[in-house]
Amino acid sequence: MSAAADVSDTRPVADVPLKGQFGWRFALSLGAAAAGVLLLAYAVAALLIRGTYLWGTNIPFVWGFDLINYVWWIGIANAASLFAVILVLRRHGLRTAVNRFAEAAALAAVAAAALYPILHLGRPWLFYWVLPYPATYQVWPQFRSTLVWDFWGIMSHVVVTSLFWYTGLIPDLATMRDRAAARGKGLVARFYGVFALGWRGSVQHWARHQAAYRLVAALVLPMLVSAQTIVALEFATTLVPDWHQARLPLHVVITGIPSGLGVVLALAALLRSGLGLSRWIDEADMDLLAKLMAAASLGCGYLYAEELLTATLEDPATRDATLARLFGPYGLLHWGGAALIVLLPQLLWLPVLRHSAPAAVAIGLGAAAGVWLDRFALVAGGLLRDHLPRIGPLYAPSIPEWTLLLGTVGLFALLMLLFARLIPVVSMFETRHEESEAEVP
Amino acid sequence: MQHSMTDEHSPPLPERRTVLRAAGASLALAAAAGCDVGPAEFGHPLHARARGVTEEALTYATVLDLDGLGRGVLVRTRAGHAIKIEGNPAHPASLGATDVFLEAAVLSLHDPARSRRSRRAGRALRETAGLPAFLEERRAALAAAGGAGLRLLTGPVSSPTQRRLIGAVLAAFPEARWHVHAPLADAGAAEGARRAFGEAVVPVHDLSRAACTLSLGADLLGPGPAQLRQARDWSAARAPGRAGQAPLPRLIVAESVPSLTGAKADQRLALPPAGIEALARAVAAELGIAAAGGAPHPEAPGIAAALRAAGPSGLVAAGRGQPASVHALAQAMNATLGAMGTTVRLIDDPAGAAEAGDLAALAGEMAQGAVTDLLVLDANPVLDAPAGLDMPALLARVPHTLHAGLYPDETALACAWHLPLRHPLECWGDSLAFEGTAALRQPATVPLVETALPAEEILAHLAGRPAPAEALVRETWREAWGEEGFEERWLAALEGGVVPDSAAPARELRLRPDFDPGPAAPETAGFTALFLPDPHLWDGRFAPNAWLQELPRPLEKLAWGNAALIAPQDAMALLVGDGAEAEITLHGRSLTVPVVIAPGQAPGVVALPLGGGRRAAGGVEPGLGFDAYRLRPAAAPWAAPGLALRPTGRVRPLVSTAWHHPVESDPPPARRVAQGEVIPPLPPPRSLYPDWSYPGHAWGMAIDLDACIGCNACSLACQAENNTPVVGPEETARGRAMHWLRVDRYHRGPPEAPETDFQPVPCMHCEKAPCEVVCPVNATVHDHEGLNLMVYPRCIGTRTCSNNCPYKVRRFNWADYARATGAVPVRNPEVPLRARGVIEKCTYCQHRIVAARTAAGLEGRPIREGEVETACQRACPTRAISFGDVNDPASTVSRARREGRHYALLGHLDTRPRTTYLARVVPAGTRADAMPAGTRADAMPAGTRADGVPASTQAESGAPEEPA
Repeated sequence: MSAAADVSDTRPVADVPLKGQFGWRFALSLGAAAAGVLLLAYAVAALLIRGTYLWGTNIPFVWGFDLINYVWWIGIANAASLFAVILVLRRHGLRTAVNRFAEAAALAAVAAAALYPILHLGRPWLFYWVLPYPATYQVWPQFRSTLVWDFWGIMSHVVVTSLFWYTGLIPDLATMRDRAAARGKGLVARFYGVFALGWRGSVQHWARHQAAYRLVAALVLPMLVSAQTIVALEFATTLVPDWHQARLPLHVVITGIPSGLGVVLALAALLRSGLGLSRWIDEADMDLLAKLMAAASLGCGYLYAEELLTATLEDPATRDATLARLFGPYGLLHWGGAALIVLLPQLLWLPVLRHSAPAAVAIGLGAAAGVWLDRFALVAGGLLRDHLPRIGPLYAPSIPEWTLLLGTVGLFALLMLLFARLIPVVSMFETRHEESEAEVP
Repeated sequence: MQHSMTDEHSPPLPERRTVLRAAGASLALAAAAGCDVGPAEFGHPLHARARGVTEEALTYATVLDLDGLGRGVLVRTRAGHAIKIEGNPAHPASLGATDVFLEAAVLSLHDPARSRRSRRAGRALRETAGLPAFLEERRAALAAAGGAGLRLLTGPVSSPTQRRLIGAVLAAFPEARWHVHAPLADAGAAEGARRAFGEAVVPVHDLSRAACTLSLGADLLGPGPAQLRQARDWSAARAPGRAGQAPLPRLIVAESVPSLTGAKADQRLALPPAGIEALARAVAAELGIAAAGGAPHPEAPGIAAALRAAGPSGLVAAGRGQPASVHALAQAMNATLGAMGTTVRLIDDPAGAAEAGDLAALAGEMAQGAVTDLLVLDANPVLDAPAGLDMPALLARVPHTLHAGLYPDETALACAWHLPLRHPLECWGDSLAFEGTAALRQPATVPLVETALPAEEILAHLAGRPAPAEALVRETWREAWGEEGFEERWLAALEGGVVPDSAAPARELRLRPDFDPGPAAPETAGFTALFLPDPHLWDGRFAPNAWLQELPRPLEKLAWGNAALIAPQDAMALLVGDGAEAEITLHGRSLTVPVVIAPGQAPGVVALPLGGGRRAAGGVEPGLGFDAYRLRPAAAPWAAPGLALRPTGRVRPLVSTAWHHPVESDPPPARRVAQGEVIPPLPPPRSLYPDWSYPGHAWGMAIDLDACIGCNACSLACQAENNTPVVGPEETARGRAMHWLRVDRYHRGPPEAPETDFQPVPCMHCEKAPCEVVCPVNATVHDHEGLNLMVYPRCIGTRTCSNNCPYKVRRFNWADYARATGAVPVRNPEVPLRARGVIEKCTYCQHRIVAARTAAGLEGRPIREGEVETACQRACPTRAISFGDVNDPASTVSRARREGRHYALLGHLDTRPRTTYLARVVPAGTRADAMPAGTRADAMPAGTRADGVPASTQAESGAPEEPA
C-alpha cells in the first residue's frame, strides 16, 4: 500500500481483485463460506426430501425460522440498499466509500432472503404457481393475497437492486478491464470487458450513465419502503390480534434500518482493516455511518416506546396479544432485540468505539442480531394469543432450521467474499469524481 | 347358500384368484382346526339384502359389543371392504349414533398388528403345525376324564349363541367349569341389587322421562354400553326446556372424578367416595328411608326436595365402582320415589352369568394344579387381572393353555397356544344390548385374516359339534323361533340389524326391607385410589387402536398415554403441576406415573385410568402411559384407600392438546344462556364487497352446545370418514394432530369447582372466509353452495390460510402422513388422500353432498331435507349437530338459526360463519355468561404454567420460559 498523497489514484482498489494471490485468510474464509453453502445445499435437500416435517412449526405456529429469517434478511437488504440509494441521490460524500459494498450486501441478502419464501412452502417445487402465467386451467393467482404482493415485492427487489448495483459498477468494470489488459491479463480483461458493456468513458457515456444510475436509484427508493411494508402486511392483514395493527409496517421498515446499517458498518470495518482500504473508507466515513446508525437506533427506540403505549390503548384482544408477545414466553427475545437494536448502537456515539474495527463489527452485527430477535418475537410471539385458545405447543426452531439459517449465512458470506475478490469494493469512479471535485478551488 | 338374494342385489364378488386363495386357506384352516367349514363360507360378506343403491357401496346391519353388550351398527362397505361404521337407528343401544369405540372398530379390523398366525409359546407359526393334533389329543383325553381339569375363561358374554355353545361344552364335559373375567364388571352393583331385590338384576335408566336425576358417581353420559341411548334420552328430555316450553330437567351429579356427566350437570358435587355414600344416606334419610341413617348433609335437603318434586320422574343412579350400599340405597330411593316402571326398569343382566365362576376362583384352582386345560376366549387376564395374581406364573402351571384373541396380546404370549380370532365385523354371531334387545351379527366384510376363527366355531368344535358359525347362530335362533317362518324372521332380523321386540322384560321386584348392608369401611389416611376405565382405551382392549390413542381425551385432553389425575387442591399442596412425575404406592406396590390436574376432582382422590401402559398392544409402541392394573387390589378394585403419592421432582413428557391460555374473552367462545334468554344479534355486517347470492342450496350447520356432551364421537367419525391421517405421539406432541373437528373444552370458574363446557369446532365455512383471500394460488375457494373448500392439488402449502383462520381449523400435512409406511390402513375411497405439504380441513362431508346431489339429479327431484348427513352429525349421540340448507326456512338448521340462543363463534370478526352454535341453557336465575370479576376462565392452580403448557414439553421444545 503506497502512501500516495493522491487519493484519487484508485489503483490500490483495483489492485485487490487483480491480485493473483489473496492470502490464506481469504482462502480460509472462502472455504468456511463454501462449507456454509454446502450446509445450505444439505439443508435444502433434506427439506425437499423429507418436508417441513423437519421444522418446529405447528398449528398455530405455522411459520417459524422460514419467515423470521426471510423478514430479517429482507430487512438487511432493504436497509443496505436504502442507505446506498440515499447516498447516491443526495450525492453524499460517503457514497464513494460505502455504497458499492452496501449494494453488494443488499444483493447478497436478497439472495439469501429469496430462498425462504420458496423453501417455506409445503410443496416448494410449485412456487411458480404464484406467477400470473396463462395456465391451462386458467387459474390465476389470488391478487388479494399478500403473498402474491410479496412475490412481486421480492422479484422487483431482486431486479432493481441488481440493476442499481450493476449500473453503478459499469465504469469500474471498464477500469478493471483496462487495468487487467495493461497487466497483460487478457482473459481477465475479457471477463470484465463483457460486463463493462463496451464502456469507453465518453462524455456521452458519462451523461447517460449518470442519468440511468440516478434513475435506477430513484426507482429503488419507493420500492424499498414498499417491499418491507408488503412483508409486514403479510402479518398485518391477518386476523391475528397482535399482528393486525397498522403500526406493523412502520415497525418492520424502521427496525430493519439498524440491521442493514449494522451489516454495512461491520462490512466497512472489515474491509477497511482486511483489505487495507482505510484510505478510501476513512474515519470521517466511519463516523458518518456510525452516527447514522446510532440515530436510526434512536428512531427505533421511539417505535418501541410507541408500541408499549399503543398496546395499552388498544382493544382488549389486541392488548392481551401484544402484552403476551412482550411479556410472554418469547418476551425475552423481544426485549433482548430491543436492547440490541436501540441501546447497543448508542455506544457508537463514542468516537473510540466507532473507530475501533472490532467494536464496530460487534455493534453492527449485534444490531443485526437484535433485529433477528425482534423478528422471532414478532413471528412466533404474535401468535401466542389468538381469538380462541391456542391449540398447539410453543414454537422452537429445530436443528434443520438452524442448519438452514447457517446455510444462508454461508451463502451471504460467500457472495460477499466473491464480491470482494472479483469486483472493486469501493466505487472508483465516484472516488475520482469526489476527489477531483474536492480539488476544484 | 341358505340366504336368498335377487340378482340386483348380488354381492361384490371377490376376484377369482382371491376366492381360490381364500378357499384354499379356508380348507387348510378347516382341516387345521378340525372344523367342517366349506369354502362357500369364506369371502362372502353378503347375507342380508344390502341397503344402498349402487353395486359398489353397500351397507349392512350388524352388531358390535362393548363389555359383552351389543350396539347395533350399519357398516358401509366398498367392494366388499368395511370402510365406515354408523349407528343403526333401529337398534335401541345406538339409535343411529356411534361412540368412539364403534367408529374405531373399522380400524381395529384393518389393523396390520392383528394376530395373523397361530402361536406356540408366543412364537408365530408358519402353519398351524401341530395344533389340530394337539386339540384332538386334548379333546380325547378330556372326554375320557369327563372334562375334569378343563376350564373356560371368557369375558362377559351376552351372545345367546355363545352361551348356548358354552352350555354345550359344559354338557359335553360335565367336570369342566366356565369362568368369566371382566375387569370392568361392577360387583358392587350386582351385590347392591341382590341386597335390594334379592336378585342380581340391573337397572335400565330411562333418562327421557327423568325430570330430576341424581347420579351417585354414575357416568350416565360417559362411555359405556348404554351411553348412546342414555345421552339421547337425556338430550331429548331437555328439548322442551331448551325451547322454553317447560322447566329444564335437573341433573345432579355427585362424583369423585370429573366426568362428562359432571360437566353437563346442573349441580355438581365433588365428593370423595365416602362422601358420596354419606350424601346417598343423607338424601335417602330426607326421602324418608328409615334404614339409611347417617349424618345430615347440607346439600341433601335440596336434592331430596327436587327428587320428591319429580316423584316417579325422579331417578337415582349409582355408578360403576360404588359400594353395594350406594347401589342398594339408589334402588331404595327409586322405589320410594315410585320411579320403578317410569325412569327405572329392572331387568335380568343380559351378560350375567350366575353359573360362571370368577377369575379369583380360577386362579385358586390353577394355583392348586386342578386345572389341566385352559381355554382363554377373548379375554386378557395377564393384563387386567388384579395386582397380586401372577397370571403368567399361574398359566405356566397349567399344562395345556390355549388363547384365542384378536391380538397377540399379553395373555397370548403367556399361553402355550394362541389362535387368532376373527374381528366381530368378519363374524357371524349375536348379542344382547344393555336393555336386552337381541341383534344378529353378520360378516360385513371379506375376512381379512384368513387363519382367524370365530369364537363360536372354537366353542362348537370343543363341544364336539363343529359347524360353521352361521349355522351355529341359525341353530340358536331356530331353537328360539321354531321352524315356522324362520327364514323370513331371520332375514328380517339380519336386514334390520335387530331382533324385534326382544328387549328384556321388566322385572317386578319388591324392595327388601333389609337392603342396607350398612356403611362401607371408613376412610383411612392418605389418598384414595380410584380406578376407572379410560375414556378411549376402555379396559385396555382399545390400546392398539391408533385413532383412539391419538384422540385427545374429552376432559384432560391427553393423547397417546395416560396420567394419574389429582385434584387442584392436592396439586397445590404437593406443589406439582401437569406432567410432574410421582411415585404412587398402594398396598406395597409402586408405580411412577405422570400427574395431571383435573379441575373439579374431589380432594384426596387420585384417579388411575386403566388400560394404559400395555406391554403387548399390537402395533402401538409399548410403554405408552402406565398400567394401573399393576396396583389394582382384588379386594377393592374400584376405590382403594391408603394410596401414597410422592412427587419425584422429575417431569414426564405428556402428549396433550390442552395448550389453553386463560380465556378472558367476553362473551366466552362456548356460551351459556339462561332459559328463555335471547342472544342479541350482531349489528348488520359491513363489507366493501357485495354479498354473494346462493340461489340453490346454501349448506349450514348448527351445533347445539346444550346437547353436546363432549364425547368425541364426532371427531372420530370425521377422522374415519375423511381419511384423516394418524400422526403418532411425537407429532401430536408437536401440535400436528390432524383432526378436522376438534372438541374444545373450557373450564370456567375456580379450579375446585369449574364449569365445564364443550364446543365442537369444525370448519366454519365462513361466507367471508379469511383463509380464501390470503391464499396466493386460490387453493381454497367457495363453491356455488357456500362451501369453503380446499383444492388439494392446487395447494402449495404456504399455510397462510391457517394463520388467517381465527378458528384454527385448518390442519397441515407436515409429512406424508396419509401415505407413509405404517399409515392407517383403512380408507374411504370417496375422499382423496392428501399429499405432503398440503393444508386440509373439514369439507362438510362434501362427497356426501355430491352423492345426494347426484342421486337427486338422477331422480329429477331436489335434495331432500335430511338427505345429506355429515359424518359428525350422524355419529352424534345427542343429535347436537344439525346440517342442512339454510335457504330452506323449514330445514332443521334454519330453525336452529332462528332460535334465541343462536350465535356465531367470534361473530364480531364478521367472518359470517355457516357453522353456528346454540348456547347451552341453564335454568333461569342461574348465572349464564356473566363472569364475576376476578375469576379467570380456565384458571390453573399454582405449579402450572400460566398458559397450561406442561413443563416437560416446554423443556423439551427449548422455548424460553414465560415469567411466572
